[in-house]
Amino acid sequence: MALKFNRNKHNSKIILDGERWERRLQKELMSLVREPPPGVVVDSDQGENLSLWTINMTGAEGTLYEGEHFTLQFKFSPKYPFDSPEVTFIGPNIPVHPHVYSNGHICLSILTDDWSPALSVQTVCLSIVSMLSSCKEKKRPPDNSFYVKTCNKNPKKTKWWYHDDTV
Amino acid sequence: MFLLDFFWSLWESITHILTFSRNPQNNKLSIHVKSNTGSSVDVDLDPQWDIGTLKEAIAPKIGLPADDMEIILAGKSLDDSTTIAECDLGEQSVLHAVKSHGQRQRRSRPLNQIMSDLVEENDATLTTVSEVPENQDSVQPPVADSEEKQQKNAHFYVYCSVCMTKSTGNPATPLKPKEGKLRVRCFSCKSGAIQLDSDPASWSDVLEPARVSGDCQEQGCSDGPVAWAEFFFKCAEHVPKSENESAAVPLYLIRANSRSTPCLACMDVLDTVVVFSCAHTICLDCFNDYMTSKIRERKFVLDDNVGYSLPCPVGCEGSLITEIHHFRLLAPNLYNLYQQFATEDFVLKSGGVLCPHPNCGMGIYPDDDCNTVRCTCGYVFCKRCLQGNHIGDCDNAVDILTGLSPSYTIDPSRAAQSKWDEASHRSIRAGTKPCPKCRTATERAGGCMHMVCTRCDFEWCWVCQTSWTRSCMGSHWFG
Repeated sequence: MALKFNRNKHNSKIILDGERWERRLQKELMSLVREPPPGVVVDSDQGENLSLWTINMTGAEGTLYEGEHFTLQFKFSPKYPFDSPEVTFIGPNIPVHPHVYSNGHICLSILTDDWSPALSVQTVCLSIVSMLSSCKEKKRPPDNSFYVKTCNKNPKKTKWWYHDDTV
Repeated sequence: MFLLDFFWSLWESITHILTFSRNPQNNKLSIHVKSNTGSSVDVDLDPQWDIGTLKEAIAPKIGLPADDMEIILAGKSLDDSTTIAECDLGEQSVLHAVKSHGQRQRRSRPLNQIMSDLVEENDATLTTVSEVPENQDSVQPPVADSEEKQQKNAHFYVYCSVCMTKSTGNPATPLKPKEGKLRVRCFSCKSGAIQLDSDPASWSDVLEPARVSGDCQEQGCSDGPVAWAEFFFKCAEHVPKSENESAAVPLYLIRANSRSTPCLACMDVLDTVVVFSCAHTICLDCFNDYMTSKIRERKFVLDDNVGYSLPCPVGCEGSLITEIHHFRLLAPNLYNLYQQFATEDFVLKSGGVLCPHPNCGMGIYPDDDCNTVRCTCGYVFCKRCLQGNHIGDCDNAVDILTGLSPSYTIDPSRAAQSKWDEASHRSIRAGTKPCPKCRTATERAGGCMHMVCTRCDFEWCWVCQTSWTRSCMGSHWFG
């Protein structure tokens, strides 16, 4: 995926190809590749489809997840950033955490109710890293088996109750 | 050589046309000069003239010697050395010529330059909270050189009812704000021949009348030297058809992006931005995207003081847009939707009901002591369950069909035999449940038992018909 710059001589604005939400995603991707949060590795080549990202994450040293590798998936709609991205853990290793269901769904308020367009992939990654790092006991959410059996594929369709800010 | 000359003159005429279209101040301007005694002269002037030259030119027509004259524009007596081009004048602008008071010869800058400082100062006090994602500046394009910036005049943006209500063709195209000019008049006699005692110190001084005092020199003004000033805006993009044309509405959240703040949504640095009271900054295109997505989801907020409005996209406390004319930038078809939703929400919030008859939706304030509401469309309904009028409890009511239109009457007994009507009533009753909060009939076309009312946003359970709870999710989420 290459960035194309057209310089407009008269007003010194840079016009990027593509729609505004795609341009924002291109910028976010570039800055995330250049300066990723600790433990986060992003491949600058996310394929043709800018609306689906895969991000690799490594458990931080000194935490319960030290050395473990996880994969996060971000899905964006054309309403991004006014609409939050759909963020789930995917792949063989889903972190065992009281806010992460075994199907990869994450109970994190900034992914639904508290989302704001001033947040970004970077801030979401940081929140997830700190959510993992502050965990004191590795366990699944109490309603994991029921939730995983019945929930919608899209975690944004779930009505979440954010009741616990300690882990 | 001849060919070269030809091309040179061609080039000159092109640049001339270009600069003309960008800045009409480079050409002759025809303006009115009014004296405080009531006489008025029309002058064609060159923008390169200074005020001293203008005074000499009009002195004989006005009947005041140039040395004894002051020219007032936007509350300011203009200095002789100020050029017309610096004054932010448009075609058919009005200047006021008054007799000088003698000692009042202090140097004064035009108001638009004073306001330019004011806007920047306000920006400076506001930009501490900026919450854009980190590292975005590493991908920022180089910022425009300061020397490329235009002369240091404040840019005001306005909603102009003359320019912006013309049909623009496609009703789905968002509107652009117009550039505006700031002017001052006497609060009591509305004459422009007023000199401000002090400069406005804040935006509030400009937006609210009677906060800055002045000396009104209009003959016959009852307030005279102790008058209040009133600021107002004019659209800079059309030539006024008459002097009494209504003022343009300042869209004061829209500013020139003097600090090159990136848009919080697209992260581009653009020339014109919307700055919320919490300092969050968004570009005009993204502002329109934001309004569009919120009006489609019916997520505007009805505030008692402000009206139907939106907070900043981050949702900061106290950031509601207080000048709702900013929403006039919505595409016209969405602005119609905005007006409809605003009216409906207001009626509902203030105790009214909306006629449930298809294609009606009339807002009605029913009597307190009677459940029966008769709409002007002819439909008669129960104000509690919003179903056709009935006797007794809403839950097991039998409709009484009353006259649907005032122009003819229906025999109730025959209408009751109408199988089609009865069948459709039955199927609506069987297939829908009312939202527990607003009673809107809701059909569940599949999916889970978790309902979200499209009208009032209430989240409720199809089974319990009360608000959606954790136990609903645990025991009968999917039936």
